[in-house]
Parts: sequence; C-alpha cells; structure tokens
Amino acid sequence: MRKLFLTGVAATALTLGAAQAADLKFAPGEGNFNWDSYEALKATQLDGEQVTVFGPWLGPDQQNAEAVLAYFAEATGADVRYVGSDSFEQQVMVDAEAGSAANVSVFPQPGLAADMAKRGFLTPLADGTADWVKDNYAAGQSWVDLGTYAGPDGTKALYGFFYKVDVKSLVWYIPENFEDAGYEIPQSMEELKALTEQIAADGGTPWCIGLGSGAATGWPATDWVEDMMLRTQPPEVYDKWVSNEIKFDDPAVIGAIEEFGWFARNDKFVAGGAGTVASTDFRDSPKGLFSSPPQCYMHHQASFIPAFFPDGTKVGTDADFFYMPAYADKDLGKPVLGAGTVWGITKDSPGAQALIKFLQSPIAHEIWMAQKGFLTPYKAVNTDVFSDPTLKKMNDVLLGATTFRFDGSDLMPGGVGAGSFWTGMVDYTGGKSAEEVAATIQKSWDALK
Amino acid sequence: MHPALQGLITIIIGVGGCVGYFYFSNQFLDRILYPATGKNAGRNINRANQVRPWLFLAPALLALGLYLAYPVFATLWLSVTDRNAGGAFVGLANYRQMFDEPKFWEAVSNNMLWLIIVPAFSTAFGLLAAQLTDRIKWGNIAKSLIFMPMAISFVGAAVIWKLVYDTRPADQDQIGVLNAVWLGFDGGPMSVLILKIIPALILVIFAGFLAYSVIQIARSLLRGGFSHSATPWWGLVLRAGLALVAVWLVWVSLRSVVSLATVSLPYGEPQTWLTIPFWNSILLMVVLVWIQTGFAMVILSAALRGVPEETIEAAVIDGANPFQIFFKIKVPQIMGTIVVVWTTITIVVLKVFDIVFAMTNGQWETQVLANYMYDKLFRANDWGVGSASAMIIMLLVTPILVWNVINARKEMR
Repeated sequence: MRKLFLTGVAATALTLGAAQAADLKFAPGEGNFNWDSYEALKATQLDGEQVTVFGPWLGPDQQNAEAVLAYFAEATGADVRYVGSDSFEQQVMVDAEAGSAANVSVFPQPGLAADMAKRGFLTPLADGTADWVKDNYAAGQSWVDLGTYAGPDGTKALYGFFYKVDVKSLVWYIPENFEDAGYEIPQSMEELKALTEQIAADGGTPWCIGLGSGAATGWPATDWVEDMMLRTQPPEVYDKWVSNEIKFDDPAVIGAIEEFGWFARNDKFVAGGAGTVASTDFRDSPKGLFSSPPQCYMHHQASFIPAFFPDGTKVGTDADFFYMPAYADKDLGKPVLGAGTVWGITKDSPGAQALIKFLQSPIAHEIWMAQKGFLTPYKAVNTDVFSDPTLKKMNDVLLGATTFRFDGSDLMPGGVGAGSFWTGMVDYTGGKSAEEVAATIQKSWDALK
Repeated sequence: MHPALQGLITIIIGVGGCVGYFYFSNQFLDRILYPATGKNAGRNINRANQVRPWLFLAPALLALGLYLAYPVFATLWLSVTDRNAGGAFVGLANYRQMFDEPKFWEAVSNNMLWLIIVPAFSTAFGLLAAQLTDRIKWGNIAKSLIFMPMAISFVGAAVIWKLVYDTRPADQDQIGVLNAVWLGFDGGPMSVLILKIIPALILVIFAGFLAYSVIQIARSLLRGGFSHSATPWWGLVLRAGLALVAVWLVWVSLRSVVSLATVSLPYGEPQTWLTIPFWNSILLMVVLVWIQTGFAMVILSAALRGVPEETIEAAVIDGANPFQIFFKIKVPQIMGTIVVVWTTITIVVLKVFDIVFAMTNGQWETQVLANYMYDKLFRANDWGVGSASAMIIMLLVTPILVWNVINARKEMR
C-alpha cells in the first residue's frame, strides 16, 4: 500500500512538472507595444505542434528569449521549447550530423551558419524574406548579405535571419571619475590617444583590458583589432580582410594590430601592466573601473558588458559609454562594429517557418527590448519600449553609423576566427611581434583550404 | 511526456528487455531449436550448450562492436577523407596538413613532457606516501587526505588550481596562493636559500640519482647483454633507450643548475603563472600529479603490505638499513605493481584534456594532443585533421595499453 502511495506521488509530481502554463511578461493590450502585430499572429494556428529552438543563451538571456517565445506559443498554440548551451558551436554541428537538430537554431556566428548551409543542414528561408529584411532593417542590404550563404549545390539563398544585435564600438567609463579628474569625452581617435597619454601622465591607468574567457581566451582582442581596422582602412579593405582576399599578414592588418598594441602593450596604459592583459578574465576586467581609486578610466567592450558590472550599477549615471571615435584626419566616417545572432531553420516544419515569420513582427522585438540587452535594426519598432535610456542611446549609435560592419572574427572560418586569431592575439599581447603573429594566423588560414 | 517519466520507462524496457532476451533465447534454444526430448535428446543438449554462450554473449559483442570497434574504423576513415569535399578520399593529406602545423608539434612535445614528468612524480610520490603512512598512527588520515583529490573531477581540480595560480595586478590583494607566496620573497638570504640553493640541490640529487641508474643499466647491459641473457632483445633496446633518456635528463638538470645560479628573479612582481611558456605546462602537470598521487599510493600501499615479513626480517638480521630494505628488498618485490601503476597513469596522461582545456585551452604553448584534437574537431570543424590526431593518440596509447594488460595478467597469475 505504502509503495503504491509513493508511486502515485511520484507520478503526480512528474505530470505536474510538465503542465506549466506559459506566462506572458507584459499583458497584451497594455503599454506602447505594437499589439496589432500580436493579434495578427493569431491567424496562424499551430495547435499542439512542437517547435524546438536551440541557441547560445543561458541565464538571464535565456529567460528573455523564452519570454519572447511565450508570445509566439500563446498566439499560435504551438509548443515552443528553447534549449540553451554554452558550447552551442560544437553541439549544433553534432546534432545536425546526428539528424537530431532543433527546428530552429540561433547562431552567434554567421560563419558557422554558412558552414552548415554549405553542408545542407539549413533550409532556405521563405521567398520574400530577403526583400522584407532589405526594406525593414536599417542598412538592410548588409543584413541580407550577412544571412545569404551558398547551399550544398552552390546556389546562394537567404538562410539566416538576424534578430538581436550587439554594438561593439563602445568605450565604457565612469562619468564621476572623468569629472573628478577633469577629462573630456574624446571626439576623435587622436583625442582618445591624447587622453590616454594624459591619464598616464597624471599617474592614473587609462585602460582595463582583459582577454581571458576560458576556452575562448583572446576574443576581446579581436574586437579591438576589428575596430582599429575600420578606423585605419576603408570598409572595402575590411571586407577583403574578412574573406582573405588580402592576406592576414598584409601591412594594413599588421597596422591595425599594432594600433591595438599601442593601447594594450604599454605597461603604463593598462591596469596591471601588459603582461596581465591576456590572463585577466574579460568578465573581471571592467571591475577596475569601479574601484576607488579607479584602477582604470576606460574599458572597450560591446553593449552586453553591463551584465558584468557590480550589482546595483545604474548604467547612464554610475557608468556610461561613448562611441569609440574614428580618426579625424582619416575621413572614414563613423564606422560601427557589431554582431548579432542569426536564426536559421535546421529542421523544416510549418512551425519553424511560422517562427521566422513571427520574428518579422514588431512585437517579437519589442518584448525583448522592454527587457534587457537587446538592440535591433528593425525600423518599425516603437523605441519607447526600451527599458532603459542607455539601450536607446546604443541604438542611436547603431543608427548614426556611416559604416556598419559585422564582427570579422565571426565571419572568418572557425579555425581562424575562433582559433588562431584568438591564440595569435594572446601571443601578441605576450610579446610576439605583429608580423610573426599575423603570419602564423595566415598560415592556419591557408591550411584550411 | 516528462523526461523523468521517459527515463523510468526506458529503464523498465531496458531491464525487462534484458531479462526477456535471456529467458526467451533459453526457451527458444531448449524447446524449439534443440529440444531435450525425443531420440536426439543427448546430442541436442550438447549442441544447445555449445550455442548457449554465444547466444548470451551476442548482445554484448554486438554492443562492443558498435561502440568500440566501429568508431575506430569510422575515425580511421574520416582521417583519410575530406568532409568539405563531400567525404572524398584524400589519402594522407590530412596527416600531411597536421604535420605541417607548428601547433601539432607543440602538442606532441608537450605530451612527451607530460609523459615523462607526470607518471614519474605521481608514482614516486605515491610510493613515498605509501611507505611513510604505513608506519605512523595517523597514517590513515594522511592517506585519505592524499587520496581525496581522486574524488574530484579533472575540471573541478583545474578550477581549484586556477585559483592557486590566479594573478591580480600589482596594487591589488592577490587571491592566488602561489603569488601570495611569491610576493613573500624579497631577494634576501631566505629567498636565495629557498629559490636557488634548495632547487639546485634537488636538481643535483636528481641528476646524481639518474647518473647512478645509467651506470647500473650500462653495467647490466655490458655484463649480461651479449651472452646468455634471459631478457629478450627488445628489453635490451628498451633499457638502452631509457639510459639515453636518463643521460639527456642529467644534462638538462645540470644545465638548469647553471641557469638557476645566474638568473635574476623578478621579486615583488606578481607573476601570471599560466602565461610563462614551459613553466605553465609544468604547473598544469602539477594538477594531474596532485590527482594521481592518491591512486598510486593506494595501489602501492596494498602491494607493500603484500611483501612477506620474512624477507624484511631476514634483511634486518643481516644488518640492512631502512634505505636498503626499501630499495633492495621492497621495491624489487613490488616492481610489477609499480609498472602497472606507471603505465596506467601514462594512459591517463595521454588522454589528458580537461585540465588543459579548463586552464589555458592550449594557449601560451601548453597545447596537448587531446586538446588539439578537440580544437580541430569542434572549433575549426576540420573533421579530417581532428580524426587524424585522434588516430595518433590511439597509436600512442595502444602499445602502452597492451603492455599494461600483459603486465596486469602476469601479476594475477
């Protein structure tokens, strides 16, 4: 009898776990959201159909993503499941090879999506999607280009839909520290360099730079080099660099690496000295801004970094950012470096198609905008829903760009962009010459062909 | 369906399936195929008994083939094909590409270092700990403390040691133990004693010990090598090889003594330990030695207890000192176990991945083969080269594995 009872309890517990209602974070009909687009969604009925989504987000981002997907589930009746992994890049390929891919996968790197498309693991998006992106996204054509890959038979098609964008060309600082020391926000790269020298001359340390990221150690330096590339060379050179039409050990690239070295390889410019750059974790690195007296005054990092600021930091007052300026005398406009996640269909189904369609509705963007850490180039959204004004300011950086380029290391083949480029940058900050490092990276690129 | 419920059902089907398989295959064999009745009853029983073991083994053989043999051949096939070209056969191109990469050779040479250092130190420390803890009252407590790291996963150990090696900028408090210790040195007499004289002494003793064993090997080679030796020719080759390695190590350690005397150490500056080439590999090895010492200690301690009291008593009566008893009576008697422990750790070392992955990911010249393979397979998505390096690791492991099995069987006899 007792056994029977326990079995019963266990069974009840199991079924209860499965039946959890999808909670909507913002009640439909309230606030500045485009609820029309949500109502329109109800025309698609997918009752009982399961749509699986596999992505790189864990923790708070996962909750945000699930909050967005809940609206899709609620409106269409589909059973949407999101699974996140911190080794997404490895897992997605294994799943695809094994034939157990999710319906929709969220790639943090277009390069990987291109690989998958070439091997035939991705389904081209519905006709007209490319036109939609071109018409509705700011700098639409560049997003279409970034999502267009060659299929297994070599024909190009739109495979990837960009949703959730990061801006990388940002320098973070503490307004109070700048005020106390009487520093101004630099308007050009010349001024930024002068400010760096000024801070060092005043006995402070201008920069906190950390490249440590566990198995991915080195990637923050690639952002620096890409930003420097866009500020010293025209965007066409950047594009050629990313596609290896100009070699990695070209003087243009070496110049950009050395521009980064100007900041990172000077013991006086970096908190802890140049030797600690490679081993400092990128998540710990910005904390130097907040210590008293400040260990450093500036930190170059993408829009996501406030997540690693000390608890209770109010972005906009306690900490703020400015646009990483371009050289005044180089006439290259206002280049902005960014990144984003690209959604692709890894296992076709009506549900997967409907989900991509859902991403084209303003509500899909606005729900996440109203939460945290989301920027979008979608022009039709109501930017009033941004939860804090900083994000709006970042979106302005995105919109104010004369040139937008995607994170180059994410576009390079994995073995370079997520391999030898990282290692090379670690070696460079460790003291190897830029020429030597660039030649090694080029060699690994050659080896891939 | 809830995953736990799915799991439960899977367990029921799995266990039930096994029981059912054995029951019904027995039934089939005894009732239908070779019934133990009628005029052929005797012959049928014999036949059924011949077939039965194979019938029972079949699922296991099938599973082993599927899970062990098939992957080996699949990897071999992948290593000679190019996935990007639709799986076309490319011969040894992947291997050639791999051999051209400096990172691969870095991994190989690092692996060699790991192979020399980790098993040697783990076994030596394990033996020392086993011998010392057998005598003292709180030996069991000491043993459990030494054994404890075995219970921690490699990644867990890596995280712990990463904190030990942690570095903060000079003007902050150090949270890494090693840097805290390092900053205690100031270049005074104590620093010279601890950082220069003592290591130099250790190196000289190490070199002396090696030189002694070289002489021993050389002597035994000269004495018994060419005549009626019981050892086969490959044993001689192995010994000669060991002697050469030892000579090289003597040279290396003597050279290190010289450089130790002349080097000027950066006192007062926190060091980023994991970025100093060569030494960072050593620091990673320390982690594995820390883990494996407990394993060596437990096995060797059991072996030491197996040494018959009579031989030791006889030695005591003959006037042997404790060192002679240990090195001339005990160690030779447990040599077989030492070899098994050594080779077992060697295999662990060849597969070492987690520690390097979690602490440096092969950067700053700490790459090892297993991590190189992972890099190629999953980061570069280069299945060809990744599989090729997997084959290299397997080639290196197989002889040691075979030798280990042979030795273990010898021990059991």
